[in-house]
This record gives sequence, structure tokens and C-alpha cells, in this order.
Amino acid sequence: MKKAIKGNHAVSHGVRLSKVGVISAYPITPQTTIVEELSEMCASGDLEARFIKVESEHSAMAALIGAATTGVRTFTATSGNGLLLMHEVLHWTAGARLPIVMANVNRAVSGVWNIWAEQTDSLAQRDTGWIQIYCESSQELLDGVIMAYKLAEKVMLPVMIAYDAFFLSHTTEIVDIPDEDLVDGFIPPYVPPVSLNFDDPRMFGGFFATDYFYEHRYTLQQASQEVLQYYPEVCREFKRIFGREYGLVETYRTEAAEVILVTAGAITSVSRIAIDKFRDKGEKVGLMKLRMFRPVPVVYWREVLGKARKVVVIDRNLSVGLGGVFASEIRSALYASAHRPLIFSVVAGLGGRDVTPEDVEGILSHVIAQDKPSDAPLFWGLKQ
Amino acid sequence: MQKMIDIPRQVWGDEELMQPGMTSCQGCAAPLSMKIALKALGQRTVVVFPACCFAVFVGGYPYSSLKVPIIHCPFETAAVVASGAAAALDVRGEKDVVVMVWAGDGGTFDIGMQALSGAAERNENILFVCYDNEAYMNTGIQRSSATPLGAWTTTTPAGSLKEESKKDIEQIMLAHHISYMATASAAYPDDLFRKFQKARQITGMKFIHLLSACPPGWRIDPANTIQVMRMATQSHVFPIYEVRKWRFSKDNERFEEDWEYTINVVPEKKVTVKTYLKSQGRFGLMTDEMIEDTQKRVDRKWHELVQKQDRCVSPE
Amino acid sequence: MTVKKRSEMAIKHEFKSYRDITPMHVSLGNMLYNKTGSWRFIKPIYEDKIPACQNTCPAGNDIEGWIKLLNNKEFEKAYWHLKREEPFPAILGRVCFKFCEDACNRAVLDDCIRIQELERFLGDHIAPATPHPELPGENGKHLAVVGSGPSGMSVAYFARLLGFRVTIFDKDALLGGMLRLGIPGYRLPRQVVAAEFEGLSRMGIELRPETEIGKDVSLETLTTTYDYVFLATGAHRSLPMKLTENISCCQIMSALTLLKQVARGDNVAIGKRVVVIGGGNTAIDAARTAIRMGCHTTVIYRRSVTEMPAHPEEVRQAQEEGVFFRFLAAPEDIALHPDATIEKLVCCEMELGPADEKSGRCRPIRKEGMTFDIPADTILIAIGEKPDFDYLSRHVPSTDAFVATGGDLSISSGPCQGAKVFAGGDMIDIPHTVVHAVASGKRAAIAMDCDRRGVLFADVLNQIRIGSGTALSFSRYMNWAPVNPVHRNDQKVVDSTKIVYDYFIKSPGCHKAIQPAGLRKNSFAPYHTTLSGEEAIHESERCLHCGRCTECDNCMIFCPDVSILDQTRETFGYAIDYDYCKGCGICFTECPRHAITMVSEG
Repeated sequence: MKKAIKGNHAVSHGVRLSKVGVISAYPITPQTTIVEELSEMCASGDLEARFIKVESEHSAMAALIGAATTGVRTFTATSGNGLLLMHEVLHWTAGARLPIVMANVNRAVSGVWNIWAEQTDSLAQRDTGWIQIYCESSQELLDGVIMAYKLAEKVMLPVMIAYDAFFLSHTTEIVDIPDEDLVDGFIPPYVPPVSLNFDDPRMFGGFFATDYFYEHRYTLQQASQEVLQYYPEVCREFKRIFGREYGLVETYRTEAAEVILVTAGAITSVSRIAIDKFRDKGEKVGLMKLRMFRPVPVVYWREVLGKARKVVVIDRNLSVGLGGVFASEIRSALYASAHRPLIFSVVAGLGGRDVTPEDVEGILSHVIAQDKPSDAPLFWGLKQ
Repeated sequence: MQKMIDIPRQVWGDEELMQPGMTSCQGCAAPLSMKIALKALGQRTVVVFPACCFAVFVGGYPYSSLKVPIIHCPFETAAVVASGAAAALDVRGEKDVVVMVWAGDGGTFDIGMQALSGAAERNENILFVCYDNEAYMNTGIQRSSATPLGAWTTTTPAGSLKEESKKDIEQIMLAHHISYMATASAAYPDDLFRKFQKARQITGMKFIHLLSACPPGWRIDPANTIQVMRMATQSHVFPIYEVRKWRFSKDNERFEEDWEYTINVVPEKKVTVKTYLKSQGRFGLMTDEMIEDTQKRVDRKWHELVQKQDRCVSPE
Repeated sequence: MTVKKRSEMAIKHEFKSYRDITPMHVSLGNMLYNKTGSWRFIKPIYEDKIPACQNTCPAGNDIEGWIKLLNNKEFEKAYWHLKREEPFPAILGRVCFKFCEDACNRAVLDDCIRIQELERFLGDHIAPATPHPELPGENGKHLAVVGSGPSGMSVAYFARLLGFRVTIFDKDALLGGMLRLGIPGYRLPRQVVAAEFEGLSRMGIELRPETEIGKDVSLETLTTTYDYVFLATGAHRSLPMKLTENISCCQIMSALTLLKQVARGDNVAIGKRVVVIGGGNTAIDAARTAIRMGCHTTVIYRRSVTEMPAHPEEVRQAQEEGVFFRFLAAPEDIALHPDATIEKLVCCEMELGPADEKSGRCRPIRKEGMTFDIPADTILIAIGEKPDFDYLSRHVPSTDAFVATGGDLSISSGPCQGAKVFAGGDMIDIPHTVVHAVASGKRAAIAMDCDRRGVLFADVLNQIRIGSGTALSFSRYMNWAPVNPVHRNDQKVVDSTKIVYDYFIKSPGCHKAIQPAGLRKNSFAPYHTTLSGEEAIHESERCLHCGRCTECDNCMIFCPDVSILDQTRETFGYAIDYDYCKGCGICFTECPRHAITMVSEG
């Protein structure tokens, strides 16, 4: 059924259709409408879940440790500082192999306040072991949440669905809300690998001494590689049932492209317009949409980007002292490639600064004109 | 023959929910308290452990010395992890289960305070047990807000003994209007047993504050653990009482809330605070002034407790 | 749960690869593989000990043991258990000086246990003539007992239990020695004494009253006819006073003479005003007898009440009955009427001087010029008794007051060849109380049996000694099992510092009030009443069972390492799982009655 809904509400519907059992969340702009709508769904009975109105984000994620260990499907959502507050618990939940799904509305983080779009918050969690998928549209959000449960419960790692504050969270789009039966067929009820029960009581977690911990860490790395094997299967299955196709990456007009633009999130939508314009002009440009960020789909990045001469990465984030995170990771992934394109790093849109099609055109033009990239990233749109 | 401690003998049957082999110190009161608590709660109990001594000595992976499910959790989060587990058990349709947090004073009074306050305010259906050894013992005897005035710890060494008196966690919990709040001690095991049995039957947030002597931290001979804990109650430093919240309707119209205080142990033998303090090395550097100050506070708190007990009348 | 069952549950996992990490990191087993018993350097053991009461009793009466049985309503079992160490509960339940009660650890909490009341209950509840359950066959040796007082009765009883053939001789028709002739009937009814002799007789002990050794039968005959001889002729010779040497008056007599006349039922004539000189129990008995004969009675004693050798309770009861006491007064002279009846006793006030080096007692000193008169019709002298050695051969070593004996109570240079001769009771150098006499009989019986078996008594002594005194355990000698099937250390005594009083609730002792003084003083009828069964059980409930496990569960409840396992259903008590016991000592400290010992390990 098609409906015009905001991005946040698409997430709520995804959660509802996934028949989540326990939700815990703490409000933070611009995530608030997710949890508000979920509260209404719980109150009306559309969603039969327990909603724990915790007193902080740290507790929001911690509550799900208890719930997920006890063997129930769980969900939370947060943004910006809220996500940072959860940091310790994100390491814990991934380490504990709990299949939690979280929606993170990418919002700038403080020192000084800003509530608008920036991806630094989720990227600061890249070492935690959480799977990270960046979404561009409301449809993708709804579908992403549903696919996230299938993925999480198979590999037993938690999944974060990340998307731009306000540009996506508060923008209304047409979304095809699938039927419950279809979703039930796609994701059956959650059955944990080990049940918490009283006839065979077990201790979950605990003290890992030096003779076990190293291997435990290795198992996380192993699991993350399984994700890269399994997620394409999930996408194929999803396409078969729902008709929409997703992947670890998505490409747009990258055939014989000499310059490939890499974006994640809302900037991708904007970039397609610029790509079309340049292609019309005869420029051989293409776009790689970065979807899964963790684990790093190295092979896919190499395959897509290895053919180009130039790669320009637009980072709506900043790792201070380093530059754009995506650019850095792509450089790292392509280092061992047989063919290494020139990688141009552009930082733009921090703190909700709008990135328009004209901006993207400007970036493309700039890159096409350059012989080689500079060491430092290009801060596009900076008031100099 | 005069039966000392009134716990029915069939409780000590073959099925032990706690087994030995734990790496707890000799004479630690915490496993003793857990042993009796589990006897009262039974098999359908989930224990949530934040970082604390018990979380370490209960067993390193892959061994556990408790025959009930255990969820380990980050230090600050015990109360909310338990809330999540309780919610999930509810969703799973499991009846007659109790989710119990077993946290030290650090995970309760200090770093755990936020989550505890949140869970208490929501009156979550969990049993939060704080076994209070009055310092951060697991990390090597550093002071906490539960450390009493005048105590030596590694962060309040000689010349800089703890200046602040112990945080009143009992009143803090009561200020959240929770369903049940009690103190207990393994030195009075029948009372402890009965309280856990009672707590199991109550819906809503339950908080039990246990005194738990720590031989290395308190500087006592392990053989004297129970004796020292008994003196704590006999000197009124650690009164044993319980508070039950009643909601009753007056004239079928308004709902009133009141708290019924019951002092469970009125010691026949009175021990001075000084005797109690002198029994432990950690108080060895206290000045007479500090001791007198402590005696006054203790007397006042006891007096207030007695008044509260006399004032509240259960509506039944 | 047993130690064995638990050791079967221990699991240890092999961890070889990262693939062994369990899903959701769940545990695979328990911590039983970690045998924390290796941490110990001291360990607890269950060790029963000697309570203060048993330690103080000269006879080593296993009071706690029979109280436990009594409390469990096993009255008969309790009675026979009592008789293993002290054969005459009906007697000692009336006349013993209750050293046990003075030592009882319960007194710190509220009142001592009324041990004597309980003993009297058992003694009155079961007839001594009831067949003895532990009577052995004969060992072929024959013992002659000279004197039927408490030490003679005791040696006869224990010797019979050791298989000896026993014959008791007494020159008097009335058997019992001081019990029958010295202690008045209102304190110790004659029927009680008679019943005990019936009991001895039922055991197969031969009784030969009216047979005087040295007259009817010579000592030499005894020593050649019998294998063993035990001398128990007591101390019946009243010490005379210098004062009366040159006075001849029938109303001046020894207190003992009066007591014996009354005991025999003879017609006794004494005056209306009686003065008793002396401070011992004989003096008090005589005074209280005089009161019951309607006399105005005064006791004078040269020291103060605190130095009086008589038992304080006797003194108190005497005072209640109307006996007057004049302390710090000594007789100087007796003034007679012309018709040789007594006019008055002239006395002098005394004061206490410095302590005597030898005895430690303060010497009384005359207060010059402070004389006073006591009008009197009869004067009874009770300044002490000593044994009669006339019938003994000169070869038996004796001092002025005692027969000299060895540690085993044997007399080293015997009067003749043949029998081994022993002595006990008031004849030898022990305190002159009934229970001491009984204890000496027990000791001699054991010594005789050691001699018969060719075993050194000194070696046996170390194994059967109780506590810190001279008491011996007959049960230990006979290898009879104690009430608790637990290892017992008879050398360790539990005093009040070792009891954890926090575990006991105050409750006052119950005791049967004896008849009020107003009734008592007019009658020679016995004034003791006995507890009912219910009252006895109620009183026995108060016993702390010092040093003896009562399966109270404290140790098991308080063990932090679940290392004390309940065995109460299968056998007795608890088993300590030494695989895990860390030796913390909590069980030791929290045992209310000190029934656990911490022992060092290697």
C-alpha cells in the first residue's frame, strides 16, 4: 500500500512490520518522531511490543542487551550525541552477538550544538562491530529495517541503519508499505541460537581471560565476513518477494566511467541529477552509492572503482586530523588493487549545510579539471 | 532443642542453585547472601550482573557457579538491562519469573545510579539487590559514596580519610515511590530468606540493600565476617527493616499512597558504635570526634526509623 | 548432596580453537573443577568437647548427653546414660553441691540450667531396681568393699559393670554410711537410699550388713579370700574439742552422734536450747535437725559466713527455718549448773587475722575482753570428722587424717600378701562431698580393672581423663559410644567465652520450689519436690549444649562456599567438603556452642 510518509515514519513501519518485541528509546531531535509513532502503534495495538521509556541512550541500548539475550526481537533509534553516549554499549552488544537493529539519524555532534545532517556520529562507531548501512530514501529505510533483521538474526551481529537528519528523516516521500503476510514470510519469528531458559540455565557473557578473548575477537571478524557472503542472498530474496533490489553497493551509470563519484545517504539522490547532466554533456561519469560501510565490501569497491581513472568521494563527515572517513577507507581498500584510480576527497555538507545538484556539478567539474588530488581534502562550500 | 535460625530444613535439599569453586575471598559475605537468596527465589530467576566482585568470581568463561540464567552487562546498566530482560520475558509469556540485579555499591550508588533511578521511577518489575561492601572492592578497595565516614580506603588513605558520610540509598530509593524497599544482612539469614521470598511475590520495583562484609577491605579476620555484620545491626549502624508501599482507596474515591515501615530486627543486646568501628581495621584511624559524630547520626536515624514505624499503620 | 556426588559433577573443557567459542558466549558448565580447598592453611573439623558442667563435676557426669536425651523425651535412655558416669541420680539429685550449676555457661545469659532438678527428675522417674541394660558376665575376680557409703556403693557399681563379683560389708544394719546415718531424712529420704541398694542387689552385688571388718571378719581374711579390697569406712570419728576434755555431761555430744541417733530412730533427748559449734555441713544438718525437734538453735562459728565450709544454700535454708547464726565467735568455756546440766556457753568474739600460709584461710584472733554468754541446754560439737584407722593393720600408711593412696587409689604397702587394697571416700585426701566419694569409687574400679588386665593405670588415665580436673570417663574406658557419633576431645573445655550468646533467647530457669520454711521446720518429711516430665523437658530445652553438636544448621547456613553438606537425614550432623572448603573459619565462629575446631594443615 502506497503512502506519503516521512522518513522517520518509514522506519516505524519497518519496525512494526518486523513484529519487534521490545523497544527502548530516548528522544533526541531528529529521531523523536520515530519513537512517537512507535508509541502510538504500541498504544493502538498495531504493534504488540513493550516500549521501555528509558532515561538516556546509554540505557536505551543497554535495555536491549537484556531483551535480546532473553530472546526477543529488539529495536532502538537515536542520533548524534545519543549515539555517542551509547558507544560503550555498542561495543558490548556487537561483542555479545546480539541481533539488535537500530536506526541512527545522522546528526552533527557537539562541542557546539548542531542538530542537522552529518555522518560523523555513526562513523565514530565504525570499530564497534556493528553492521552499518547508509540509506538514501524512505522506501530504502522501510525495506532496510526489514532486511536488517533477517541479516542480523542470521549472522548474530547488530545492524545500524543510518540516514541524514532532516533531509531524509523529515522529508515526505511515497513509500510502498508491504503487506504483513509478505514480511512474515520473509522474516520468521526470532529464535535465538541459545534460549534463555530455566531447565538448562546458562551464563551469557562473562569474564574472558587471555586464553579465550583473542579467539572471541577473531570470531567477530569471522562473522563480519559472513555478512558479506550472506547479505547479497538477503537482497536477492527480498527482490523476489517485494520486487525491489538492493546490494552491498549500488552503481549508477558507471559503465565505462572515467570518473566515479562516491556518495552515501541523501547526497546520493542529489548526485544522480548531476551525473545525468554530465552524461548528457558526454562526460564519462558514474556514481557508486556506498550502502554497506561495515563490514567493508572491499571486493565490491575494487570491482566498481578499479575501472575508473578518478574517484571522487564526497564525505558528509570529518574525522578531525584525518579528513573524510569514506575517502580514507576507500583509499585503504583500493591500495591493494591492481589498478588504483586517483582518489579525490571532498568534505561537504557538515552540520546540515545543503549540498545541491549544482554543488555536485561543481565538484565533478573541479575533479575533471585536476590532474591529481591534493593531500588535504577539499572543503566544498566553505566560507573562506 | 532451641532452633537458632528459622529456615525450614527442606530448603537445604539436594538441588543447589549455587555450587562451590568460586574464586571469592575466604569469608566473603556476598556468596553467602546469594546462596540464601537463591534458596528463597528458586530456579525461575534471572540474575543480571554488572561489573563487581561477584561478576568475576561467579566464574570465568565458560564456567558458571550458579544454576540459574545469568546476563552479564556493562557496569552502569544493570537496572535497565534487567528492565529489558523483564520486558522480554513478559513478551515471551513467561510467568512467575523474577529478574534480579545483583550489583555492588559502585553499580548502585555511583555509576549505576542513573539507570537505577530510571528503572525505579518507572517502577519496573525487577528486584534490584545491592550487596554493599562499602567501597569499590573489585578494583582494589577504592572509596565509593557508600563508604562510611572515617573509613580508610586506597583513595582515602591515612591523612585523608573519608570525610563524607554514607549516601542514604534507602531514602533515595523510597523517594522514587517504589513498591518495596528493604535492608537485610546474611548475619540474619532467616530474615534475608523471608524477604527474598516476599519480594518475589511483589509486582513493581523492589530494592534490597544488603550489608556485605569484605575481609580484605574492612580489615577483618574472615572468620569474623558474620559477627561483624551482626554488630552492625546490633549497634544500629545497619538497621534491618522493610518498607512496603500501600495504595489504598479512601471512601472509594481518592487513592492514597503510604509507606509502611517495619523494623524486623530489634537487637536485644545493644552494642556501641565504637565497639562496631573498633572491630574493623579500616576504621582504625578514626578520631574520637568522628566516632561520636557517627554515634549521633546512627542514634538519630534509628530514632527516626522507630518514629516512622509507629506512625504508619497498614490500611488493612 | 554428598561429596562424592559433587565430585562427579566437575567439568573441565578443552579449548583448542576459536570454533570452540559458544554461541552468545554461553557457559558450558560449573566451577566445580576449581577445587578451592587448595587455598586453605587451616581447616574446620567437627569436634565435640567437654562443657563447663562436666568439667567441673568431680565424677565427670556427662550432663549434656543425658540432657539431650531427656529433651528428646527418651527418659530411660537418659537415665542409663547418666548412670554411665554417676550411678545415683536420686541421691545426688538431692544432696550434691552442684558444682556443675555454678560453672554452667548459661548463667551469663540468664540463669544456670537446673541440672540437679533434672537429675532428680530422672532419678525419681526410673527405679534403680530396673534391670541394668549393660550388665556383663563375670570376669572371675572378686572385690570386697568395706563400708556401704557413697564411695563403697560407687566402686561396687562400677566394678560390677566391669564384671567383678562384689560383696559390700558394713558394720551397721542400716546401709548407706553417711547417706543413711549422717544426712537427715528430710534432705535425703531413707527410701531413696534403700532403693539404690535394691538396685545394687539386683545387679548381683552381695550385701553383708552388720558385719564389722576387724571384729566379725579380720582384714587379713578379706585380703586372702578376695582378689581386691576397697576400704570405704569414711570419716565418722568426730573431732573432740579441748574445751570439753575435762567436762562430763551427757548433753555435750558430737553433732554426728545426734544425727545418727535420729537416723536410727532412737529416742533422742536434747534440751530446748541448742548451740552448735562449727561451720561445716554437719553443723548445719545438726542445727536443722534440732529446729525440727522444736529447739531454739544457734550455730556459732569462729570465722565469717563467707569462710564457712558449709554449702551456702544449706546455710540459707537453715536461716529461713529459724536457726540463728553467730559468726566470728568461738567457745571459751562451758558453765554447768550444780546438777551437771549446762547453764551457758561462754564465747569470745573473734576477728579475722592475716591469711595462713599453708591453708590460705584467715586466722581468727580473739578480741580481748569481748566475751559473751549463750544460754544453752545442749551443745553439739561439729568441728570435723576423721576416719577410724583402728581396724587397719599398722602397715597401712596414714597420716593423722587420711589413708595415703597412689594416683590409682591403691594402698602401696598392703596389710597382707594377696589382695590389692584400695581406698576412697572420706578416708582419703579428697574433699568430703558425696560426689567426690562417688568419683573415687569409679577411679578405683577402673584402676582395679587395669590391674586385672595387666595394663598400666597411668597410661589409661591419659586416655580417659576429662577436662582439667581429676574426673574420669567410664564410657571412654568401656568404649561406649557417646550420644553424638562425632569425634570427641575430652581435654578441651568450653567455657563461657566460647559461647555465642547472640543465638540464644533469654528464658529463666524453672525450679521446683522446695517447701516454704514455715512448713519445713516442723517436719522431718522430705522437702524436695520433683519436676514433672513436661517441666523437665522445658528446662532441658534451655541447655546450650556447650561443645556438643546439636545439628542446629548454623555452620551449613553460614558457609559461603556451600561446603557443608547436610547428613542429618542419613547419619548425624554434617560433612565438610574439603575439596572446596577455603578454611575461612566462619563456621567455627558462628557455631553457637564451639563444637567445631580449626586445625592447622601441614
